[in-house]
Amino acid sequence: MGEHQGGEPAALGKKAVPTGKHMLQRRLWRFAMLAFLPTLAIFAWVRIYPITETLRLSLHKWDILSKNKPFIGLDNFRELFHDRLFLDALVNTSIIAFGVLAVTIPLAMAIAALIHHRTASRFSGFYETAVFIPHVVSLVPAAMAWKWIFDAKLGPLNALLQYFGVPAQAWLFDPVLSVICIIVLCSWQALGYAVLIYLVGFKNLPVSLFEAAKLDGAGGIQRFWYVSVPLLKPITLYVSVVTLISGFNVYAQAFVLASDSQGAPGRLVRVLVLDMLENSFRNYRVGYAASEAVVLLAIVLVLTLIQFGLLREKGRA
Amino acid sequence: MRALRTGSSRSFTAKLTGTSMALVMAAGLSITASTVSAQTITVWSGYPEMAPFYEHVAESMKDEYPNLQVNVEAIALREHEKRIALGLTSGSTGVTVIELSGSTATRYLENDLLPAAPENVAAFVKDPANFGAFFVDAASKEGTVYGVPLFRGQGSLYYNVDMFKAAGLTEPPKTMEEYTEYAEKLTQRDANGNPTVSGWSLRLSGGGQGIAEKFWINLFQYGGSVIEPDGNGKWRANYANEAGRKTLKQYLENVHVLKTVTPEMPADAEAFERGQTAMFIRESWVIGDIAAKAPDLNYATAPLPRGSIALPTNLYVNSVEGEDAEAAWAFTLAANEPENLIWLLDNVGWLPNRSGVDYSVVTDRVPAFAAFVDYPEGYEFFTLPAIGPIEEVLTRLAGQLTNAYANADLAKDDAAIDAFLASAAEETNNILSREGLLAE
Repeated sequence: MGEHQGGEPAALGKKAVPTGKHMLQRRLWRFAMLAFLPTLAIFAWVRIYPITETLRLSLHKWDILSKNKPFIGLDNFRELFHDRLFLDALVNTSIIAFGVLAVTIPLAMAIAALIHHRTASRFSGFYETAVFIPHVVSLVPAAMAWKWIFDAKLGPLNALLQYFGVPAQAWLFDPVLSVICIIVLCSWQALGYAVLIYLVGFKNLPVSLFEAAKLDGAGGIQRFWYVSVPLLKPITLYVSVVTLISGFNVYAQAFVLASDSQGAPGRLVRVLVLDMLENSFRNYRVGYAASEAVVLLAIVLVLTLIQFGLLREKGRA
Repeated sequence: MRALRTGSSRSFTAKLTGTSMALVMAAGLSITASTVSAQTITVWSGYPEMAPFYEHVAESMKDEYPNLQVNVEAIALREHEKRIALGLTSGSTGVTVIELSGSTATRYLENDLLPAAPENVAAFVKDPANFGAFFVDAASKEGTVYGVPLFRGQGSLYYNVDMFKAAGLTEPPKTMEEYTEYAEKLTQRDANGNPTVSGWSLRLSGGGQGIAEKFWINLFQYGGSVIEPDGNGKWRANYANEAGRKTLKQYLENVHVLKTVTPEMPADAEAFERGQTAMFIRESWVIGDIAAKAPDLNYATAPLPRGSIALPTNLYVNSVEGEDAEAAWAFTLAANEPENLIWLLDNVGWLPNRSGVDYSVVTDRVPAFAAFVDYPEGYEFFTLPAIGPIEEVLTRLAGQLTNAYANADLAKDDAAIDAFLASAAEETNNILSREGLLAE
């Protein structure tokens, strides 16, 4: 042992340099971890813990009031897929989420393109602000305003339709129209954020490509369609997933459009979050509501994975 | 340098002195504040219109409790229910007086989340001179008093006298069949035949269990009920029958065949106050609402053909220990002082449950209360059963009914109505079965 230690001083000396580097790296790593720790702890507390707790609760029967939480395995999930109200909520929520997506993405891209090509205009700031304001306006008053717009008797929308000879519609009461109303309201709110992200995308597009396309004789619409749209694909993917996920979390819009303290409300469009709240706090079935939350989580995870898959595909291309 | 150090030292000393003085003053203020507001209680209500009443009660306690601070937090009923579920289970509510219906309180009592009332309060509630057995039962569990009865929701018909006169109707309808006949005569239409003023405002949409509760009131007139007891603590659905068919058919006939009312028409008390509906069934609070919002409205009330729902609401306290808890229970008793109950009836309109109080000073002045207190002999009452899943039963039935009301194909098809009712009743029975409450 002693011979070995004394016989290779050079080797030891060689090792001393990387060890010092390692020590420095380790210290840096430790510092980085310590710096991260508060953030990680907060993230674990506000994100990881609620998710794991929800997963755990979904396997139990719990009425929020009782100290007993018997384990019931997958019973909540079995019941869920025979529950008419849950299935209604799932269908409605999916239609709303994909409806908002279908309205928001093309509209946001078109509006962002128009604003971008008017950057030199002294009104460009006004355009950006006007489009973004609905995103920052408080949801409930905004929904109340839309409730008035959609009002069958007093609303300006029906007044406008009737002016053009179209019969008035029961926007908030018809099973189909009431879903459309929520799509319109959600799209109106989502549009501002999507436009803002697209504007950032437009500003980062290489000008040389547009100039080359222009030299090749491409018109404005052609340049938009064949140059801007493909180059904005990563932005489109990001905005799509964000819009879709927020669409699946729709709640307040459905609640406000149907609520009225005097019992003259609209048709309550059942959505997943609303169904969860009802099961938790009206029906006192927290375990069951947790199983709904797990299904919603699964949907959102699948959508996110699809996004990653598409982005990877784009990267390979 | 020296001067600078001295200045700095002076500045430090001044800061230290200032901070110390501020701390002493703050401590003094906090001591003064804690002396002034020695007792603090919060009142949670699910009816915003009740806030002035609770403030009035707090004011009436000033002589006996000069340092009592009462914070009244009255919000919409559904949010109130969520607040109770979260507040009581987390134990983070402080001493709180909680307004809760007897049927909803059952779950909390079963889980020991609300304490039994102190002896003096229990004695007050159990005194037959103060409350009838119906109200004592609604505030008790297995003979132990947990809450103090306060007011009840009881329905009657409200009708617009001028519209009745214009339609040649001299008295209110007495049978459910007459309700439809009257609705047809009372409906006002435009040149195209579309209703502009509904003949009979029905609850056809919205969230929560209200739709099912209103359906139950009409169903009761036909002799049915949403669920019925078997006498052994079990329950079963009781609306997939003739009474259920008649009730649902009446809704559908009015909406889709006679078009005396449509889902999108203004409805309920607000519509009645604005002259947008000729009649509707509602609780007594509407009288106070009309007095405030439409004092010139020429209206009257009438009892329902068979009887009414009576939903007793009680006051509970989440603690029995300490001075604050003592003040909170005293608050529940003060709320039942005759002068406060008369104030409640006069200014809010909810019907107090305490007997032995002379309410005639209000009822004589406001004839609309007659239908609620001077009902005919044999007039019957029902209430929501005190069982855990009653909210779920009603909320799910409400969801089913909303779809049925929107389905014009059901209106003239008795077999389809029966099939719908059978399917809804099966769902009701499944809920009862899951909770071990289904009668054989």
